[in-house]
Amino acid sequence: MAEEPGAASVRATYDRIADHFSKTREYAWPEVSEFLDGRSGSVGLDVGCGNGRHAELLVERCERVLGIDLSRGMVATARDRSAERGFDYGLAQADASSLPVRDGVVDLAVYVATLPHLPSRELRVASLDELARVLGGDGRALVSAWSTEHDRFDRAEGFDTTVEWTLPGGTGVDRFYHIYDPEEFRADVSESGLELVEFEVSSGNCYAAVRPG
Amino acid sequence: MKEDLLDIVCCPLDKHDLELDATEREDGEIVTGTLTCTECGETYPIEDGIPNLLPPDMRDEAPA
Repeated sequence: MAEEPGAASVRATYDRIADHFSKTREYAWPEVSEFLDGRSGSVGLDVGCGNGRHAELLVERCERVLGIDLSRGMVATARDRSAERGFDYGLAQADASSLPVRDGVVDLAVYVATLPHLPSRELRVASLDELARVLGGDGRALVSAWSTEHDRFDRAEGFDTTVEWTLPGGTGVDRFYHIYDPEEFRADVSESGLELVEFEVSSGNCYAAVRPG
Repeated sequence: MKEDLLDIVCCPLDKHDLELDATEREDGEIVTGTLTCTECGETYPIEDGIPNLLPPDMRDEAPA
């Protein structure tokens, strides 16, 4: 019987694959670099920071940065990588749908390739509400989600699935994903406390540049 | 973690201030300790320099 998808299983998966996953996630996504170009602020936030490759871009643009991830294994890889590369930012283990971040303190945030791991629409919209809450009045964020527009999917409407991660040695580990169709993604952003500023589909991902509504 | 992170973080449940109790420091960073919500009293551990600010019901979930 298939395991019920939940935050605990997503976390356990990333705890298990953290080291290998991190090694394959060396570089920032170009869409994220483009969004951040020309932007700066006092406080930066990376929600679902993984190994910290995007938090490192925020460090260059913000006085202080916090990276959070559900998986302790991923946070540990981010800490080790930042120490090796000389990037100085704060890290915490935390949940995207209950952010441990003060109201309105964040100027610049990225929430990249993480939203689809939240196991229900309610939690996904709650996480977008949380992002709206922590952004300051002039704050901006980039939210991304894997989409049905990606070549590997042949469905037009959003759906839940698991995508296998193959560890060295061949062991497969499943990860829960909600694959968004672009209209559904826009609808979830609109449903939340965020306001959509710009939207694009690029390399099979939906990207929303947002501000607090 | 650095102590000035407390300017940014808060209790994930009620968003109130956290109070630091550091039991081990190294090079100006807190390695071990706790963060306690000044409103609800919930306590969040800091281990290996990383605060665990998951809501308590998620913290205690056994890995699936």
